Amino acid sequence: MAAVRTRGEVIRHRLSVTAVLVILLITLAPIFWITATAFKPRNLATTMPPTVFFEPEISPFVKLFTKRSQLREPPTEEVYNAAPWWEKTVFDGGEKVVRSGRGEVQPSGYPSRFLNSLIVAITSTVLAVSMGTITAYGFSRFKVKGEDDWLFFILSTRMLPPVVVAIPMFLMYRAVGLNDTHLGLIILYTAFNLSFSVWLMKGFIDEIPKEYEDAALVDGYTRMQAFFKIVLPEAATGIAATAVFCFITAWNEYAFALIMTNRRAQTAPPFIPSQVGSGLPDWTVIAAGTFLFLLPVAIFTFLLRNHLLRGMSFGAIRK
Amino acid sequence: MTQIALHNINKHFGAFHVINNVSLTVEDTEFVVFLGQSGCGKTTTLRAIAGLETIDSGEILIGGKPVQDTRVEERDVAFVFQNFALYPHLTVFENMAFPLRAVRTPKAQVETTVRRVADVLQIGGLLNRRPSALSGGDLQRVAIGRALVRNPKAMLMDEPIGSLDAKLREEMRVELKRLHVEQGSTTIYVTHDQIEAMALADRIVVMHAGVLQQVGAPEDVYANPVNLFVAQFVGSPVMNVADVTLAEDAGGARVTVAGATQGFAFPSALLGQVAATGPANRPLTLGVRPEAVRLTLQPAPGAVATEAHIIEPLGSHDIVDFRIGDATLRARTKAGFVPGPGVPVWVTLDHSRAHLFDTATGQTLGIRL
Ligand SMILES: Nc1ncnc2c1ncn2[C@@H]1O[C@H](COP(=O)(O)OP(=O)(O)OP(=O)(O)O)[C@@H](O)[C@H]1O
Ligand SMILES: [Mg+2]
Repeated sequence: MAAVRTRGEVIRHRLSVTAVLVILLITLAPIFWITATAFKPRNLATTMPPTVFFEPEISPFVKLFTKRSQLREPPTEEVYNAAPWWEKTVFDGGEKVVRSGRGEVQPSGYPSRFLNSLIVAITSTVLAVSMGTITAYGFSRFKVKGEDDWLFFILSTRMLPPVVVAIPMFLMYRAVGLNDTHLGLIILYTAFNLSFSVWLMKGFIDEIPKEYEDAALVDGYTRMQAFFKIVLPEAATGIAATAVFCFITAWNEYAFALIMTNRRAQTAPPFIPSQVGSGLPDWTVIAAGTFLFLLPVAIFTFLLRNHLLRGMSFGAIRK
Repeated sequence: MTQIALHNINKHFGAFHVINNVSLTVEDTEFVVFLGQSGCGKTTTLRAIAGLETIDSGEILIGGKPVQDTRVEERDVAFVFQNFALYPHLTVFENMAFPLRAVRTPKAQVETTVRRVADVLQIGGLLNRRPSALSGGDLQRVAIGRALVRNPKAMLMDEPIGSLDAKLREEMRVELKRLHVEQGSTTIYVTHDQIEAMALADRIVVMHAGVLQQVGAPEDVYANPVNLFVAQFVGSPVMNVADVTLAEDAGGARVTVAGATQGFAFPSALLGQVAATGPANRPLTLGVRPEAVRLTLQPAPGAVATEAHIIEPLGSHDIVDFRIGDATLRARTKAGFVPGPGVPVWVTLDHSRAHLFDTATGQTLGIRL
């Protein structure tokens, strides 16, 4: 593998490595800061100059998941000692965990919002990718009357910034009772992603030689079987890449989630900053919420990284 | 028993007539080769037989049954694609087992069939590999293996060895012939390589612009081309052609190449045979293969004098270029027969292997001398 390098190439190589490192540093800095803040005690989150070295603690996460209220007076020694370790961290911060009459810990709004995010993002991704794949297959393999016009129309649905239609959408959703429902958001995000999914998948399916299916047909399979046995596995790379993009879009969507939902179906993005408003802002809790929120996309992308890398070059390079 | 019959099939791509009224019968166990230039419609015809393309009109019969309206998967033919079309995500074994799984063959039988065919093709050691890890020749064997496992009614092969290098092609050619002899399945084979066609075919079908030009045994197509296209397409080096005029001369016939002062002497029977097909003074084209052109280094009676121009030594023989009138002709000689360029030579033609074509229509006059 090691190709012979000239002196000029070595220098250029070092320069580009340096450039990559600098860019990496700049892009990772905010993520580092969020992560660091998520493990800071509250009083260190907003110091000036910023605190870089500190003893990490878990209290922001405890606070993230529980309902709390301000302590008017410090807890009695007895109460403090009887509390489990995680509850103590809340006491240390001058708050107490809210319990029901039967002593059960009351959860904060975060877990349900997180779950909503997962439900909405996963479902809409599955729908957008599967519908997109089938549509793209049709466009790629069959003569469709006015194919170019249809494809342009599909693309054109992405040309308007979605927020522009937010108010009419809100009114329509209210009229049909879709606001603040999972289904409403799922439909919305599927619609956002579908055009993108069709276009991306068409590129990938166009690259799969038609002869693969022809061979399967000759071998005695139906077109449907050929689609599932040949086209889908061959398009796995494209499906993975498309799924990652769709998932990220749906997962990060903020504007519509803010307008269309408030409690039942609210997703994490509008919820996390909303915590700022209630009482004194606790930046560590917001950072903890953001930190956890970043994980699914990171994990998903990491799992599909091989497909993704191949997918990028696959779609881009044409013979 | 699988006979494949095409009756007047036609196919258009838009306004373009790809298959023009093709009729052909391929007998059971016959090996027929479609030969033609790139774009003449060979692949399309083959795909039409397999059912991968619809036809506009005509009938396709496989084993006596009309199939032009049945679907691909019901026609029970095997197709070897020009680019092999092996599935990259499956191993060699799975690729070969693929057609068997379509008809839900029991597992044990899939195993034995694939192994048997793999052994025949000498790819038994590659069964666990992916197609991407195979050489061109192995890919080709796997592609043929996938066609063989099923015992199809007919094998359709679209330039299966077109992408291999010359040496491998030669090897695979022999192997294909051996396989066909062993398996005896009715085969239609597409190629644009006329040597391959000659070597493999029971019968050659020469196609041009969607029209069948000639169907016949390789020797027959080679010896008696029906028109100028076939004459120049089949055979290597290509057949010499030259515009000629025909005249009566001293009790015989004289065939003079345009622009030449001397003509070739022919038996007088030629005049009668030409007259029987139409006016003798219409434009005619002489066709003669290089091996039917004789060169001598001394003057000979009835020979046309000229000088050697270019000599291509090909080891077993030489190809010698020379000019007569406006035409450049080539002769096949013993190796080293003509010592060098510029040497005077005398040319005579083998009358029994000379052809005359009507220049306007390109059709042969069917001269037999
Ligand atoms: N789907 C199609 N739509 C339009 N034209 C086509 C289509 N398929 C083939 N053609 C045209 O039909 C003609 C015949 O094609 P075909 O593939 O049968 O040629 P071929 O004889 O197999 O050539 P080659 O030796 O290059 O494979 C070509 O001119 C080609 O451009
Ligand atoms: Mg072809």
